[in-house]
Amino acid sequence: MVASIGELEAPGEPPLPTGVSAEEIRGRSPWYLAWLRMRRNRVGLAFGVLFLLIVLACLAAPLWADHVAHTGPNENHITDKILIDGQETYVVSPDGTPVGPGLHGRYLLGADQNGRDVMVRLLYGGRTSIYIGVVAAVVTTVFAVLVGLLCGYYRGWIDAILSRVMDVVWAFPVLLLGIALGTALALGGLKIGALVVAGDSLWIPILIIGLVYVPYMARPIRGEILALREKEFVEAAVAQGKGSLRIMFSELLPNVVSTIIVFFTLNIANNMLLESSLSFLGAGVRAPNASWGTMIADGYQTIYTAPHLTIVPGLLIVLTVLSLNVFGDGLRDALDPRAKIRLEH
Amino acid sequence: MSMLRKAVTVAAVTTLTAFGVAACGGGSDSGGGGGSGGELNVTMTSFPDYVDPQLSYTTEGWEVLYNVYTPLLTYKHAKENAGAEIVPGLAKDLPQVSPDGKTYKLTLRSNMKYSDGTPIKASDFTYAIQRLFKADSGGSVFFEPIVGATDYADGKADKIAGITTDDNTGDITIQLTEPNGTFNDLLGLPFSAPVPPTTPLDKDATNSPPPSSGAFKISAVDAPRSLTMERNPQFKTLTDAGVSNLPEAQVDKITVTQNKSNSAQVTGIEQNTIDFMHDPPDADRLPEVKAKFAERFRMEESINTYYFFMNTQTAPFNDLRVRQAVNYAIDPEALNRVFGGRLHPTQQILPPGMPGYEEYKLYPGPDMNKAKALIAEANPTDRDITVWTDDEPDRKRIGEYYHDLLTQLGFNATLKVIAGDVYWTTIGNLSTPDLDTGFADWFQDFPHPDDFFRPLLNGKNILPTNGNNFSKVAIPALDAKQNELLKQLIGDGGVAEQYSALDKSYMEQAVWAPYGNEEFTTFTSDRVDFGKAYRHILFSQDYSALSLK
Repeated sequence: MVASIGELEAPGEPPLPTGVSAEEIRGRSPWYLAWLRMRRNRVGLAFGVLFLLIVLACLAAPLWADHVAHTGPNENHITDKILIDGQETYVVSPDGTPVGPGLHGRYLLGADQNGRDVMVRLLYGGRTSIYIGVVAAVVTTVFAVLVGLLCGYYRGWIDAILSRVMDVVWAFPVLLLGIALGTALALGGLKIGALVVAGDSLWIPILIIGLVYVPYMARPIRGEILALREKEFVEAAVAQGKGSLRIMFSELLPNVVSTIIVFFTLNIANNMLLESSLSFLGAGVRAPNASWGTMIADGYQTIYTAPHLTIVPGLLIVLTVLSLNVFGDGLRDALDPRAKIRLEH
Repeated sequence: MSMLRKAVTVAAVTTLTAFGVAACGGGSDSGGGGGSGGELNVTMTSFPDYVDPQLSYTTEGWEVLYNVYTPLLTYKHAKENAGAEIVPGLAKDLPQVSPDGKTYKLTLRSNMKYSDGTPIKASDFTYAIQRLFKADSGGSVFFEPIVGATDYADGKADKIAGITTDDNTGDITIQLTEPNGTFNDLLGLPFSAPVPPTTPLDKDATNSPPPSSGAFKISAVDAPRSLTMERNPQFKTLTDAGVSNLPEAQVDKITVTQNKSNSAQVTGIEQNTIDFMHDPPDADRLPEVKAKFAERFRMEESINTYYFFMNTQTAPFNDLRVRQAVNYAIDPEALNRVFGGRLHPTQQILPPGMPGYEEYKLYPGPDMNKAKALIAEANPTDRDITVWTDDEPDRKRIGEYYHDLLTQLGFNATLKVIAGDVYWTTIGNLSTPDLDTGFADWFQDFPHPDDFFRPLLNGKNILPTNGNNFSKVAIPALDAKQNELLKQLIGDGGVAEQYSALDKSYMEQAVWAPYGNEEFTTFTSDRVDFGKAYRHILFSQDYSALSLK
């Protein structure tokens, strides 16, 4: 229905739809509209909540370790005994068989062959995996945004050089590149000038994972910046005498934030998968520290007799990655329903 | 695509990614055959360190090489202690030893050929000994008593003056600087097996091993994944020359494959896709194997010592009290459980079954209070230490146990787990940084206690590469005692007792933290004639005895 002239609030302003006040329209920022769209996506929200619950459980690992299990993630209790159903039982029997899962506070998910509490290691392992996933995603995002902005804004030889470097990194299979770097850095660590990272530091997998995914995020950002650079608002900014850095960070960057947010979320999931694979293959998190990947690797050795040692961390990886992917997809739909961005590998 | 469908798709992909990577391993069907002939699949958790007779110094390597390279003398292919008997190999007879014990004379049999048809010459023995020194073999220390050997090693001479050979007559004369009670034993080790001069003098020949002089030849090597052994086509030249102590191969081909999953190896044998596994079944599968496959599984005695090395030359382990604390703290029963009950506790260097073994215990425990008191007394300033172990499952668990123990003692320990096939060369290399402490073991090379002291604890065996003195022990008085004892025969009155005292002297210095003697196993597929298979006392499984039913 078209509003009559008499219904106009003020001369010179566009007409309002019937029944909608100007106040309502003014309150809807792009973020608010995105939230409204996200709120309608029940499945996406449910998986977002699931991810939050997993993160909270992992953050509570020290509480479980101190008040329920009474042991740390790396503490061996091979010859200790625990009370199960009023009977003293070895944590690891003389023939090497560890206690299995059961409804006892300590060793809820049983012990591994070193007499370590699997539940405690699972929670601490989750902290490690999620920590690596998130921090590596931050590393990826920082580098990818810088590369994307520089290439897209300056174009020319800067774009040519950086894009070829990205192509080279992209040309390597991610897992093989991760294994090669992880193995090479395992013994001596990383030493670049004043930057020294020990071989067993979590920063090794974080940097490896963070850097190998830079091209996957940098290229779409570069593409968007290339398109935005031709827009009128950039020309206006140039005409106003704004410097290149200011244009990049205060004019262009805000316009790709929604893309960055979506990529960041999806990137965490991919990072966690890569961390698990690298740790499983011995090139990620170092023993005795737990991550879900190292737990699968350890459990795999006993998969015939204690399959839960592999299945439980595996399921948690599945749930976490699934929740992040579905939530990330939902975010993408909410932030920019017309976008066709994909994080593929 | 709907959100739910997306969720299901992502779940499926994620599950496959998470678990799919674990789907490596397994075995393959091998061809069969009855009686003599056929092919066998053998698996090892770690690939041999070298496929080179002068360099290999692991049980995996020697198991393969025992039936590939025959030294002048060899160890009898026989079960239990009979296998420790030294008998003529490529030489016509045991050496004639001069009355002063310094000169050994042997004669090479004539008209023998390597597997590629090259004639075996007496000078090939000299070349093999030269390779030991030029390629920095861990076994070179045994042959230093040869006159001129150290000068050759140091580059001061272009040949070893103490070895003379005549290719026409096959005569070989070896002169020693002083009598050596183990020299016959040494001549039976793969280290001294003749190789043709086409073999690189100062390099590892793993990727192109020298032609063989045993029942099998190495026909292909894809290190560190697999190697293939086939019947030596020239084996008849050996038997025709009179070699009587080498049994003929019972199968046509043996494929040795590295498989990092012990559990997959066990399953492979149960399902007859793998015929023999070098390593014992892991603790979690052992009860099942014992119960279900008793007709093709048995425990085997083995002469070995498992220990943690501690670098005695750098802090914090250069303090005796710290080393003693570690010995007090270790719980051998805990480590026994890691091995599934296959580890007999010990706290000394020589294992049971070795001449000179006499049981004692200097550090009764586990006693964490005593250990912590010693650490408090020592109060080491450097508490950042690196703990080394390899990636074989039980050894990784041992490393994790030891890491936790050192953490409890107040150290800031970092665990380094590296691949089993490069572990020994890594920790045996002086240039490797942070070699503080870690897992080690030693299986007897020959039935003489000197084998547990000279390579592992003699100051002269702190080598730049391929060393075995991981604790960097150099105690001149005890080195001198080793040299003094070596001049005598083990059977001489009081010699064994003196070795026992030497053992105790080293442990008073807590140079190691020994914790166990491991029992080994023989577990074969249903295709293998289990009755004939046996574990040799020195060289692990004797492949020449493996045959199909």
